[in-house]
Amino acid sequence: MAQIRVADDTERVSDRRMGRGAFLGVLGLGVVGLAFGERITRGLSGPIGAVGDVVPSAIKELVPTGWRIYAVNPPWPTFHPATYRLQVTGMVERPLTLRWSDVDSLPAVSETANFHCVTGWTVGGVHWRGIRLQTLWDMAHPLPEARYVNFVSLEHPYVDTLSLEQTTMPQVMLAHTMEGAPLPREHGAPLRLVIPEMYGYKGVKWLHRIELVDKLVPGYWEQRGYDVDAWVGRSNGYF
Amino acid sequence: MTRFSAFERTLHWLLAVTFLTMAATGLILYLPSLAEVAANRGMWKSIHLGAAIAFWAGLIALLPGNGRQFRGAAREIDRFDEDDRRWLQWAVTRRGDEPAQGRFNAGQKLNTAIVSGLMVVFTVSGTLMYLQETDAAFRGRTSAILVHDLATWVALPLVAGHLWLALVNPSTRHSMRGILLGGVRRDWARRHHRKWMDTVEGQAVGTGSAEPPSPSP
Repeated sequence: MAQIRVADDTERVSDRRMGRGAFLGVLGLGVVGLAFGERITRGLSGPIGAVGDVVPSAIKELVPTGWRIYAVNPPWPTFHPATYRLQVTGMVERPLTLRWSDVDSLPAVSETANFHCVTGWTVGGVHWRGIRLQTLWDMAHPLPEARYVNFVSLEHPYVDTLSLEQTTMPQVMLAHTMEGAPLPREHGAPLRLVIPEMYGYKGVKWLHRIELVDKLVPGYWEQRGYDVDAWVGRSNGYF
Repeated sequence: MTRFSAFERTLHWLLAVTFLTMAATGLILYLPSLAEVAANRGMWKSIHLGAAIAFWAGLIALLPGNGRQFRGAAREIDRFDEDDRRWLQWAVTRRGDEPAQGRFNAGQKLNTAIVSGLMVVFTVSGTLMYLQETDAAFRGRTSAILVHDLATWVALPLVAGHLWLALVNPSTRHSMRGILLGGVRRDWARRHHRKWMDTVEGQAVGTGSAEPPSPSP
Protein backbone atom coordinates (compact mmCIF):
# COMPACT_ATOMS: atom_id res chain seq x y z
CA MET A 1 0.00 0.00 0.00
CA ALA A 2 1.37 3.33 -1.02
CA GLN A 3 2.47 5.66 1.68
CA ILE A 4 1.84 9.35 1.75
CA ARG A 5 4.86 11.50 1.85
CA VAL A 6 4.95 15.20 2.45
CA ALA A 7 6.85 17.31 -0.03
CA ASP A 8 9.93 17.82 2.04
CA ASP A 9 10.30 17.77 5.76
CA THR A 10 13.55 19.70 5.95
CA GLU A 11 12.97 23.27 6.91
CA ARG A 12 14.78 25.86 4.84
CA VAL A 13 15.76 29.27 6.13
CA SER A 14 13.74 30.90 3.40
CA ASP A 15 10.52 29.13 4.51
CA ARG A 16 7.98 31.41 6.07
CA ARG A 17 5.32 30.32 8.50
CA MET A 18 2.52 31.88 6.52
CA GLY A 19 -0.02 29.19 7.34
CA ARG A 20 -0.12 29.96 11.01
CA GLY A 21 0.08 33.64 10.14
CA ALA A 22 -3.13 33.40 8.15
CA PHE A 23 -4.77 31.23 10.84
CA LEU A 24 -3.85 33.59 13.68
CA GLY A 25 -4.71 36.61 11.54
CA VAL A 26 -8.27 35.34 11.08
CA LEU A 27 -8.51 34.68 14.84
CA GLY A 28 -7.20 38.17 15.59
CA LEU A 29 -9.71 39.81 13.25
CA GLY A 30 -12.46 37.75 14.90
CA VAL A 31 -11.50 38.95 18.39
CA VAL A 32 -11.24 42.59 17.25
CA GLY A 33 -14.63 42.23 15.56
CA LEU A 34 -16.24 40.74 18.68
CA ALA A 35 -14.92 43.55 20.86
CA PHE A 36 -15.27 46.57 18.59
CA GLY A 37 -17.40 45.51 15.59
CA GLU A 38 -20.56 47.44 16.44
CA ARG A 39 -18.56 50.54 17.36
CA ILE A 40 -16.71 50.42 14.03
CA THR A 41 -19.87 50.01 11.95
CA ARG A 42 -21.65 52.72 13.94
CA GLY A 43 -18.69 55.00 13.27
CA LEU A 44 -19.08 54.27 9.58
CA SER A 45 -22.86 54.68 9.49
CA GLY A 46 -22.65 58.28 10.83
CA PRO A 47 -20.85 59.81 7.82
CA ILE A 48 -22.79 57.65 5.38
CA GLY A 49 -26.10 58.66 6.94
CA ALA A 50 -25.03 62.30 6.73
CA VAL A 51 -24.54 62.09 2.98
CA GLY A 52 -28.18 61.15 2.97
CA ASP A 53 -29.97 60.47 -0.23
CA VAL A 54 -26.90 60.99 -2.41
CA VAL A 55 -25.90 57.43 -1.58
CA PRO A 56 -28.25 54.81 -3.05
CA SER A 57 -30.00 52.84 -0.36
CA ALA A 58 -28.58 49.59 -1.75
CA ILE A 59 -25.08 50.80 -0.87
CA LYS A 60 -26.15 52.27 2.45
CA GLU A 61 -27.57 48.91 3.47
CA LEU A 62 -24.18 47.27 3.03
CA VAL A 63 -22.97 49.17 6.08
CA PRO A 64 -24.69 47.63 9.05
CA THR A 65 -26.33 50.08 11.46
CA GLY A 66 -27.47 47.29 13.75
CA TRP A 67 -30.89 47.36 12.05
CA ARG A 68 -31.99 44.90 9.44
CA ILE A 69 -34.94 45.99 7.41
CA TYR A 70 -37.51 43.34 6.61
CA ALA A 71 -40.47 43.73 4.30
CA VAL A 72 -42.89 41.09 3.06
CA ASN A 73 -44.09 42.88 -0.08
CA PRO A 74 -41.51 45.33 -1.44
CA PRO A 75 -41.27 48.15 -2.32
CA TRP A 76 -41.88 49.86 1.01
CA PRO A 77 -45.07 51.92 1.16
CA THR A 78 -44.65 55.65 0.66
CA PHE A 79 -46.08 58.13 3.12
CA HIS A 80 -48.08 61.02 1.62
CA PRO A 81 -49.03 63.46 4.43
CA ALA A 82 -51.91 64.93 2.42
CA THR A 83 -53.70 61.65 1.76
CA TYR A 84 -52.67 59.55 4.77
CA ARG A 85 -55.48 58.49 7.12
CA LEU A 86 -55.28 56.55 10.38
CA GLN A 87 -58.48 54.58 10.98
CA VAL A 88 -59.70 53.13 14.26
CA THR A 89 -62.55 50.78 13.44
CA GLY A 90 -64.43 47.70 14.58
CA MET A 91 -65.84 47.32 18.07
CA VAL A 92 -65.68 50.94 19.18
CA GLU A 93 -68.41 53.42 20.07
CA ARG A 94 -66.87 56.13 17.88
CA PRO A 95 -64.87 54.97 14.84
CA LEU A 96 -62.08 57.41 14.00
CA THR A 97 -60.53 58.57 10.74
CA LEU A 98 -57.61 60.84 11.53
CA ARG A 99 -55.63 63.00 9.10
CA TRP A 100 -51.88 63.11 9.58
CA SER A 101 -52.17 66.59 11.11
CA ASP A 102 -54.62 65.13 13.67
CA VAL A 103 -52.30 62.26 14.54
CA ASP A 104 -49.36 64.62 14.77
CA SER A 105 -51.15 66.88 17.25
CA LEU A 106 -52.13 64.08 19.69
CA PRO A 107 -50.29 64.17 23.02
CA ALA A 108 -46.92 62.43 22.56
CA VAL A 109 -44.54 60.77 24.99
CA SER A 110 -40.89 59.75 24.67
CA GLU A 111 -39.14 56.57 25.70
CA THR A 112 -35.89 54.73 25.23
CA ALA A 113 -36.07 50.98 24.71
CA ASN A 114 -34.13 48.03 23.35
CA PHE A 115 -35.35 46.50 20.11
CA HIS A 116 -35.08 42.70 19.81
CA CYS A 117 -35.52 40.74 16.60
CA VAL A 118 -36.58 37.10 16.68
CA THR A 119 -33.59 36.30 14.43
CA GLY A 120 -31.26 37.21 17.29
CA TRP A 121 -30.12 40.78 16.72
CA THR A 122 -30.74 43.63 19.10
CA VAL A 123 -30.48 47.39 18.79
CA GLY A 124 -30.00 48.89 22.22
CA GLY A 125 -31.32 52.19 23.49
CA VAL A 126 -33.56 53.28 20.63
CA HIS A 127 -35.22 56.65 21.31
CA TRP A 128 -38.88 56.74 20.29
CA ARG A 129 -41.54 59.42 20.49
CA GLY A 130 -45.19 58.72 19.83
CA ILE A 131 -48.72 58.14 21.04
CA ARG A 132 -49.99 55.80 23.74
CA LEU A 133 -52.83 53.56 22.60
CA GLN A 134 -54.85 54.70 25.65
CA THR A 135 -55.07 58.14 23.96
CA LEU A 136 -56.91 56.55 21.02
CA TRP A 137 -59.10 54.40 23.30
CA ASP A 138 -60.14 57.54 25.21
CA MET A 139 -61.33 58.99 21.88
CA ALA A 140 -62.88 55.89 20.31
CA HIS A 141 -64.23 54.09 23.41
CA PRO A 142 -63.81 50.34 22.81
CA LEU A 143 -66.98 48.33 23.34
CA PRO A 144 -67.01 45.87 26.28
CA GLU A 145 -66.87 42.87 23.92
CA ALA A 146 -63.66 44.09 22.22
CA ARG A 147 -60.85 41.73 23.26
CA TYR A 148 -58.18 41.94 20.55
CA VAL A 149 -56.69 44.65 18.35
CA ASN A 150 -55.51 44.11 14.76
CA PHE A 151 -52.85 46.46 13.46
CA VAL A 152 -53.01 46.64 9.67
CA SER A 153 -50.07 47.82 7.60
CA LEU A 154 -50.10 49.73 4.33
CA GLU A 155 -47.80 46.92 3.25
CA HIS A 156 -50.42 44.41 2.19
CA PRO A 157 -50.94 41.76 3.62
CA TYR A 158 -48.98 42.52 6.78
CA VAL A 159 -51.02 42.55 9.96
CA ASP A 160 -50.41 41.72 13.59
CA THR A 161 -52.39 41.57 16.76
CA LEU A 162 -52.32 42.28 20.48
CA SER A 163 -54.86 41.68 23.19
CA LEU A 164 -56.56 44.89 24.29
CA GLU A 165 -54.78 44.63 27.68
CA GLN A 166 -51.39 44.30 25.97
CA THR A 167 -51.89 47.57 24.09
CA THR A 168 -51.70 49.49 27.35
CA MET A 169 -48.57 47.82 28.73
CA PRO A 170 -46.20 50.54 30.00
CA GLN A 171 -43.89 50.92 27.00
CA VAL A 172 -46.24 50.12 24.11
CA MET A 173 -46.70 53.07 21.72
CA LEU A 174 -47.38 54.16 18.16
CA ALA A 175 -44.10 55.83 17.27
CA HIS A 176 -43.88 58.64 14.72
CA THR A 177 -40.44 59.88 15.75
CA MET A 178 -37.22 57.89 16.00
CA GLU A 179 -33.92 59.25 17.31
CA GLY A 180 -35.35 62.77 17.18
CA ALA A 181 -36.36 62.66 13.51
CA PRO A 182 -39.57 61.67 11.72
CA LEU A 183 -39.81 57.88 11.45
CA PRO A 184 -37.76 56.90 8.36
CA ARG A 185 -39.52 55.12 5.50
CA GLU A 186 -37.71 51.82 6.10
CA HIS A 187 -38.80 51.88 9.76
CA GLY A 188 -42.47 52.26 8.83
CA ALA A 189 -43.19 55.93 8.10
CA PRO A 190 -45.29 57.59 9.28
CA LEU A 191 -46.37 55.34 12.17
CA ARG A 192 -45.27 52.03 13.65
CA LEU A 193 -46.17 49.98 16.66
CA VAL A 194 -43.44 49.61 19.30
CA ILE A 195 -43.64 46.80 21.90
CA PRO A 196 -40.24 46.55 23.60
CA GLU A 197 -41.13 43.38 25.51
CA MET A 198 -41.93 41.48 22.32
CA TYR A 199 -39.98 40.61 19.18
CA GLY A 200 -39.98 43.10 16.35
CA TYR A 201 -42.37 41.25 14.03
CA LYS A 202 -45.21 42.27 16.38
CA GLY A 203 -44.39 45.94 15.77
CA VAL A 204 -46.39 46.63 12.61
CA LYS A 205 -44.79 49.26 10.35
CA TRP A 206 -46.56 51.61 7.92
CA LEU A 207 -49.59 51.40 10.20
CA HIS A 208 -52.85 52.75 8.80
CA ARG A 209 -55.74 50.82 10.36
CA ILE A 210 -56.48 49.68 13.90
CA GLU A 211 -59.34 47.24 14.21
CA LEU A 212 -60.92 46.13 17.49
CA VAL A 213 -62.38 42.61 17.41
CA ASP A 214 -63.70 39.98 19.80
CA LYS A 215 -61.75 36.99 18.42
CA LEU A 216 -58.02 36.54 17.91
CA VAL A 217 -56.88 36.79 14.29
CA PRO A 218 -53.26 35.55 14.01
CA GLY A 219 -50.83 38.03 12.44
CA TYR A 220 -48.84 37.62 9.23
CA TRP A 221 -45.94 35.67 10.77
CA GLU A 222 -48.19 33.87 13.23
CA GLN A 223 -50.08 32.35 10.30
CA ARG A 224 -46.65 31.07 9.27
CA GLY A 225 -45.76 29.37 12.54
CA TYR A 226 -44.38 32.13 14.77
CA ASP A 227 -45.74 32.65 18.28
CA VAL A 228 -48.65 35.05 18.90
CA ASP A 229 -47.26 36.11 22.28
CA ALA A 230 -43.74 36.95 21.14
CA TRP A 231 -42.16 37.66 24.52
CA VAL A 232 -38.45 38.36 24.17
CA GLY A 233 -36.47 35.36 25.41
CA ARG A 234 -39.62 33.33 26.16
CA SER A 235 -41.01 32.40 22.74
CA ASN A 236 -40.21 31.12 19.24
CA GLY A 237 -38.02 28.10 19.87
CA TYR A 238 -36.25 29.51 22.86
CA PHE A 239 -34.11 26.76 24.33
CA MET B 1 -0.28 7.59 -6.26
CA THR B 2 -1.78 8.13 -2.78
CA ARG B 3 -2.23 11.80 -2.01
CA PHE B 4 -4.58 11.81 0.97
CA SER B 5 -4.64 9.33 3.84
CA ALA B 6 -7.86 7.86 5.22
CA PHE B 7 -7.54 10.22 8.18
CA GLU B 8 -7.19 13.26 5.97
CA ARG B 9 -10.11 12.23 3.81
CA THR B 10 -12.32 11.55 6.83
CA LEU B 11 -11.47 14.94 8.32
CA HIS B 12 -12.18 16.65 5.00
CA TRP B 13 -15.60 15.05 4.58
CA LEU B 14 -16.48 15.58 8.23
CA LEU B 15 -15.92 19.30 7.71
CA ALA B 16 -17.61 19.29 4.29
CA VAL B 17 -20.83 17.66 5.51
CA THR B 18 -21.10 19.63 8.74
CA PHE B 19 -20.15 22.92 7.06
CA LEU B 20 -22.71 22.55 4.29
CA THR B 21 -25.38 21.62 6.87
CA MET B 22 -24.52 24.71 8.91
CA ALA B 23 -24.42 26.93 5.82
CA ALA B 24 -27.84 25.73 4.64
CA THR B 25 -29.57 25.94 8.03
CA GLY B 26 -27.76 29.20 8.82
CA LEU B 27 -29.01 30.82 5.62
CA ILE B 28 -32.55 29.62 6.34
CA LEU B 29 -32.38 31.26 9.76
CA TYR B 30 -30.69 34.40 8.40
CA LEU B 31 -32.14 35.38 5.04
CA PRO B 32 -35.37 37.39 5.20
CA SER B 33 -36.52 35.76 1.95
CA LEU B 34 -36.39 32.37 3.70
CA ALA B 35 -38.14 33.53 6.87
CA GLU B 36 -41.21 31.53 5.93
CA VAL B 37 -39.19 28.33 5.72
CA ALA B 38 -37.67 29.30 9.07
CA ALA B 39 -40.97 29.47 10.93
CA ASN B 40 -39.91 26.42 12.93
CA ARG B 41 -36.82 28.23 14.20
CA GLY B 42 -36.27 25.79 17.05
CA MET B 43 -35.77 22.87 14.66
CA TRP B 44 -33.39 24.74 12.33
CA LYS B 45 -31.39 26.01 15.29
CA SER B 46 -31.09 22.47 16.67
CA ILE B 47 -29.77 21.15 13.35
CA HIS B 48 -27.36 24.09 13.04
CA LEU B 49 -25.97 23.61 16.54
CA GLY B 50 -26.01 19.81 16.20
CA ALA B 51 -23.79 20.04 13.10
CA ALA B 52 -21.35 22.30 14.96
CA ILE B 53 -21.15 19.87 17.85
CA ALA B 54 -20.78 16.93 15.44
CA PHE B 55 -17.81 18.65 13.77
CA TRP B 56 -15.89 19.25 17.00
CA ALA B 57 -16.83 15.85 18.44
CA GLY B 58 -15.67 14.19 15.21
CA LEU B 59 -12.39 16.11 15.21
CA ILE B 60 -11.71 15.18 18.83
CA ALA B 61 -12.58 11.54 18.11
CA LEU B 62 -10.27 11.42 15.10
CA LEU B 63 -7.21 12.99 16.71
CA PRO B 64 -6.03 10.17 19.02
CA GLY B 65 -3.90 7.86 16.92
CA ASN B 66 -3.68 10.37 14.08
CA GLY B 67 -1.91 13.15 15.92
CA ARG B 68 1.35 12.67 14.03
CA GLN B 69 -0.38 12.88 10.67
CA PHE B 70 -2.34 15.90 11.77
CA ARG B 71 0.84 17.69 12.85
CA GLY B 72 2.62 16.63 9.65
CA ALA B 73 -0.13 18.06 7.45
CA ALA B 74 -0.29 21.20 9.59
CA ARG B 75 3.46 21.65 9.16
CA GLU B 76 3.14 21.35 5.37
CA ILE B 77 0.34 23.90 5.33
CA ASP B 78 2.23 26.26 7.63
CA ARG B 79 5.41 26.54 5.58
CA PHE B 80 5.54 28.64 2.44
CA ASP B 81 8.78 28.42 0.47
CA GLU B 82 10.03 30.64 -2.34
CA ASP B 83 8.02 28.68 -4.96
CA ASP B 84 4.84 29.02 -2.89
CA ARG B 85 5.23 32.77 -2.78
CA ARG B 86 5.88 32.87 -6.51
CA TRP B 87 2.83 30.60 -7.03
CA LEU B 88 0.58 33.08 -5.23
CA GLN B 89 1.86 35.83 -7.53
CA TRP B 90 1.37 33.56 -10.53
CA ALA B 91 -2.19 32.74 -9.42
CA VAL B 92 -3.03 36.44 -9.60
CA THR B 93 -1.02 37.55 -12.64
CA ARG B 94 -1.05 34.26 -14.61
CA ARG B 95 2.25 35.30 -16.15
CA GLY B 96 4.80 32.61 -16.98
CA ASP B 97 4.72 28.95 -15.96
CA GLU B 98 3.10 27.62 -12.82
CA PRO B 99 5.84 27.37 -10.18
CA ALA B 100 6.40 23.79 -8.98
CA GLN B 101 4.34 22.89 -5.93
CA GLY B 102 4.38 20.33 -3.13
CA ARG B 103 1.50 18.06 -2.09
CA PHE B 104 -0.53 21.18 -1.34
CA ASN B 105 -0.20 24.21 -3.55
CA ALA B 106 0.07 27.64 -1.96
CA GLY B 107 -3.60 28.41 -2.59
CA GLN B 108 -4.67 25.21 -0.87
CA LYS B 109 -2.42 26.03 2.08
CA LEU B 110 -3.82 29.52 2.42
CA ASN B 111 -7.40 28.26 2.06
CA THR B 112 -6.87 25.60 4.73
CA ALA B 113 -5.29 28.09 7.15
CA ILE B 114 -8.05 30.69 6.67
CA VAL B 115 -10.87 28.11 6.90
CA SER B 116 -9.31 26.68 10.08
CA GLY B 117 -9.28 30.16 11.58
CA LEU B 118 -12.88 30.71 10.50
CA MET B 119 -13.96 27.48 12.21
CA VAL B 120 -12.74 28.89 15.53
CA VAL B 121 -14.28 32.32 14.84
CA PHE B 122 -17.61 30.70 13.91
CA THR B 123 -17.55 28.57 17.06
CA VAL B 124 -16.74 31.41 19.45
CA SER B 125 -19.18 33.92 17.93
CA GLY B 126 -21.85 31.23 17.55
CA THR B 127 -21.51 30.24 21.21
CA LEU B 128 -21.97 33.89 22.19
CA MET B 129 -25.06 34.09 19.95
CA TYR B 130 -26.48 30.99 21.63
CA LEU B 131 -25.86 32.56 25.04
CA GLN B 132 -27.46 35.88 24.15
CA GLU B 133 -30.51 34.19 22.74
CA THR B 134 -30.85 32.14 25.91
CA ASP B 135 -30.17 35.00 28.30
CA ALA B 136 -30.94 38.60 27.34
CA ALA B 137 -28.18 39.72 29.74
CA PHE B 138 -25.65 38.65 27.06
CA ARG B 139 -27.30 40.79 24.40
CA GLY B 140 -25.40 43.81 23.24
CA ARG B 141 -22.16 42.83 25.02
CA THR B 142 -20.26 41.65 21.96
CA SER B 143 -20.68 41.97 18.21
CA ALA B 144 -21.17 38.21 17.92
CA ILE B 145 -23.82 38.36 15.19
CA LEU B 146 -21.82 40.82 13.10
CA VAL B 147 -18.71 38.62 13.33
CA HIS B 148 -20.68 35.45 12.56
CA ASP B 149 -22.19 37.17 9.49
CA LEU B 150 -18.86 38.51 8.22
CA ALA B 151 -17.26 35.08 8.70
CA THR B 152 -20.09 33.62 6.60
CA TRP B 153 -19.50 36.10 3.79
CA VAL B 154 -15.80 35.19 3.80
CA ALA B 155 -16.37 31.44 4.04
CA LEU B 156 -19.04 31.08 1.35
CA PRO B 157 -16.92 32.52 -1.53
CA LEU B 158 -13.96 30.40 -0.38
CA VAL B 159 -16.09 27.25 -0.42
CA ALA B 160 -17.71 28.23 -3.73
CA GLY B 161 -14.26 28.67 -5.31
CA HIS B 162 -13.12 25.38 -3.77
CA LEU B 163 -16.16 23.60 -5.25
CA TRP B 164 -15.58 25.18 -8.66
CA LEU B 165 -11.98 23.97 -8.73
CA ALA B 166 -12.96 20.52 -7.46
CA LEU B 167 -16.05 19.91 -9.59
CA VAL B 168 -15.96 22.12 -12.68
CA ASN B 169 -12.54 23.43 -13.63
CA PRO B 170 -11.18 20.77 -16.06
CA SER B 171 -7.48 20.93 -15.11
CA THR B 172 -8.03 20.69 -11.34
CA ARG B 173 -11.13 18.52 -10.95
CA HIS B 174 -9.08 15.31 -11.04
CA SER B 175 -8.16 16.17 -7.43
CA MET B 176 -11.70 15.06 -6.48
CA ARG B 177 -10.53 11.48 -6.98
CA GLY B 178 -7.76 12.05 -4.44
CA ILE B 179 -10.05 13.33 -1.72
CA LEU B 180 -12.66 10.64 -2.42
CA LEU B 181 -10.46 7.57 -2.87
CA GLY B 182 -7.03 8.78 -1.80
CA GLY B 183 -5.15 8.28 -5.09
CA VAL B 184 -4.38 10.56 -8.03
CA ARG B 185 -2.81 9.86 -11.45
CA ARG B 186 0.96 10.22 -11.63
CA ASP B 187 0.89 12.42 -14.73
CA TRP B 188 -1.61 14.75 -13.09
CA ALA B 189 0.42 14.90 -9.89
CA ARG B 190 3.58 15.60 -11.89
CA ARG B 191 1.87 18.50 -13.66
CA HIS B 192 0.30 20.10 -10.58
CA HIS B 193 2.43 18.96 -7.62
CA ARG B 194 5.88 18.33 -9.11
CA LYS B 195 7.90 18.89 -5.95
CA TRP B 196 5.77 16.36 -4.11
CA MET B 197 6.32 13.81 -6.90
CA ASP B 198 10.05 14.54 -6.95
CA THR B 199 10.22 13.86 -3.23
CA VAL B 200 8.12 10.71 -3.40
CA GLU B 201 10.08 9.28 -6.33
CA GLY B 202 13.39 10.41 -4.83
CA GLN B 203 12.59 8.61 -1.61
CA ALA B 204 11.41 5.54 -3.45
CA VAL B 205 14.73 5.28 -5.26
CA GLY B 206 17.01 6.56 -2.50
CA THR B 207 17.94 5.00 0.80
CA GLY B 208 15.11 6.72 2.62
CA SER B 209 17.39 8.29 5.22
CA ALA B 210 14.85 11.05 5.92
CA GLU B 211 12.04 9.41 7.79
CA PRO B 212 8.79 10.24 6.02
CA PRO B 213 6.13 11.57 8.42
CA SER B 214 3.63 9.28 6.83
CA PRO B 215 0.86 7.11 8.15
CA SER B 216 1.08 3.40 8.47
CA PRO B 217 -2.07 2.33 6.69
